This record gives sequence, structure tokens and C-alpha cells, in this order.
Amino acid sequence: MLATFQNLFAPPRHMILLVLAAWLGLTLAEKYAERHRISKDDLNNITFYGLIAFIVGGRLSFVLQNISAFIKSPLGVISINPDLFDSVGGIIVAILVAFAYGQRKNLALWSTLDALTPFFAVIAVGLGLSHLAAGTAFGNPTELPWGIDLWSATRHPTQIYATLASLLTLGLIWFLKAHPRPGVLFLIFTAVTAFSQLIIHTFRADTPLFLDGYRQAQVFAWIILAVSFAALEARLKSETK
Amino acid sequence: MNKSQRITLYFLVLIASAAWIVLSAEPNAAGTATTRAPQAGFSAPDFTLQTTSGETYTLSDLKGNAVLVNLWATWCPPCRAEMPAMQKLYEEYKDQGFVVLAVNSTVQDNPLEIPPFLEEFGITFPVLLDHTGDVTRAYQVRSLPSTYFINRLGIITEVVIGGPMSEALLRTRIEEALK
Repeated sequence: MLATFQNLFAPPRHMILLVLAAWLGLTLAEKYAERHRISKDDLNNITFYGLIAFIVGGRLSFVLQNISAFIKSPLGVISINPDLFDSVGGIIVAILVAFAYGQRKNLALWSTLDALTPFFAVIAVGLGLSHLAAGTAFGNPTELPWGIDLWSATRHPTQIYATLASLLTLGLIWFLKAHPRPGVLFLIFTAVTAFSQLIIHTFRADTPLFLDGYRQAQVFAWIILAVSFAALEARLKSETK
Repeated sequence: MNKSQRITLYFLVLIASAAWIVLSAEPNAAGTATTRAPQAGFSAPDFTLQTTSGETYTLSDLKGNAVLVNLWATWCPPCRAEMPAMQKLYEEYKDQGFVVLAVNSTVQDNPLEIPPFLEEFGITFPVLLDHTGDVTRAYQVRSLPSTYFINRLGIITEVVIGGPMSEALLRTRIEEALK
């Protein structure tokens, strides 16, 4: 079954899973947007501009980081190669553009983030599945019976762990979707996602290490978790005053 | 849940998470570089193949060079489209220790069509013939072209599935492999 799935969505077709997740996530977010006092149009627009900014920003960031290659081959800037992309740069530009759009339209920050939470949660599920299809984000070798054969070893199915964790998180935010305090839904999603990534990265084989074998991704997830808790408490405190 | 219960919960989770990070650290992690697999971060699967003129090439003999292994076929349009850029950059970087091994997936190609193809594009880098499909299988090729950039230590730095690769993409990946 896994082999069939991996053949069906072998790279570069694994990107279809992300596109499907974005579409499903947006449909789900749209359905409950008005509960967070965000109109469907505003939600669609902020997502649309954010996605365009992600694509353009990711390419521009890659070009700037490899400027010497593009000076010699300038037409590469508009090449259709999806590999000419820096996803971190894309995310930063998407956040800036979405924030600017929200400011211009006077959208309440926390309510907008709450409205977008189902979108983020479904994207996380799609990301886990696309990693499973591509064989990326792979695990350490294991002798556990549920290990999967990948890259010359039986490995922890970290992509399946991540997909299941994302599905559970999606279930949790579904359960909490009616929370009346703006920001709480988004911050719970962030905290739970950071915590699950902190655990899953223990079993990942592709995580960069630093100092005495500590995993960078786990430390980053811990910082996100701490910031989420602090913000969550601040949100709850501000609403109860 | 009241405020003090929440604060206690936050601290417990943060302390337990920090302890987990410390306990799961791997000071002597072997990493993936010692395992052979067709994926970035792993040692490139070795192979020995012959060119159209009967010359033999073994990938592991090229350690110390940056190697681009490109699996292709004559009937594959993106493979045709990226050949000129590969030829151009091979000429530009070969003096810095850059080698191109274009592995024709002969098991799914017509060998008679290879010489006119090479002539058409003026190919000067080694073109190897995978008659048995062993290399195609070892590299788990599901789409053509599939390209593997290998650094001077024999570790795959990047995998590009599909094509055609633009000149800029090739340049960035070659320069990374040459570091």
C-alpha cells in the first residue's frame, strides 16, 4: 500500500498533495471564518496574496542567495524549475504581505489567525503526506515492527508520525473551534504542533545536530512552545481583565 | 483551569520537553553519510558502466571531484531540453574538478538512437549505457530525467527529479557540490 502511494505521488507529483491540502484547508477555513468575524472574501484574499507572496518571495530569496549564478544566467529568474526556491524566504515574505493586507483592511490580528488555523492544520497534514511520498523527512533506522523500508534501511516512519500528529491536532482545533477568546485557537495549534515536532524530531535522521549532538529542530520547537505558552497566557489575561 | 494551574502546566511541559531534548541528544550520531542511498545526505550508490565507445567508468574512482549523475533517455523531451545547459556548464566547470556522468537508461531506450542524439547536441562528457537497468534501479528512478549532484566526498548534495533543469539551477547545484 505504501509502495503504491509512493509510486502514485512520486516526485515531482508529491506537490499535488500540498496543493490539495491548501485547497481543502482553505475550504474548511472559509466555512468557519465568520465565526471569527472574518469575511470569506477577506479570508480568501489574505490567503491568495499570501500564497502569491510565498511563491514570488521564495524565488526572490533563492535568487538573492545565489546571485552570482543568476548574473551569469539571468533568464533563470523566471525559469519554471520549482527547485529554484527558498521556502524559509517564501514564508517570511508571505507573512509580511499577509500582515500588510490585514493592516490595510483593518482585520483583527488574532481573529484572522484563528480563522486561518484550519488552513494551517490541513497544510500540516498535506506536508506529512508529501514527505511520505517523496521519502524526505525520513527517520532513523529501527527494528520496531512498524518500521518502513526506505533509503537502504528499515526506518521509523516519521512522515506517518507527523501526519498522524497533524490529524490529531486538526481534531483538537475542530473540538476547540468555538473558543470565544481570539488567538487562543491559533496559539493552541502552534503549541501542540511545536510539541509534536519536538517529539517527532527525536526519530528523524535528517535533522542537523549542534554542540553535543542536540537537534536544532528540537531546540527551535522548544522556543516556539515557550513563546506560544507566554502568548496564550497573555491572551487569556487580556480577555479576563 | 485557573491561572496557577495553567502556569504549572506550562512549566511542567517546558521542563519535560527540555529534559527530552537533553536525553535524546546523540553525541556520537553516525549520520547518513556512511549509508549508500539515492537521497541527499547519503553516500551515492556506486556503479561501473561503459560508454558508447567502450570506455569504463566507476563512480567511486571519481572521489575528489564533484559529479553530476544524470539518468536520461533519448525519447524523453525534458532530457533533450537540458542537455545543452549541461554541456555548456561541463565545459565551464570541468577544470575545477566537475564531472558529468550521463547514464542512459538503455534498458528503456533504443541504443541505436544514442549516437545521433549525442552528435546533435555536441556532447563531450561521458555517456554511460545502463543496459541491464541496474543503475536505474539502484537510483530508484521513477521519472526521467533524474539528476544527482555528488560532492568531492561522494555524498549526494542534491537530487533533482524531472526537468528540464535551467542553467541557473545547474550552476547553483554544481557550485554547492564543488565546495
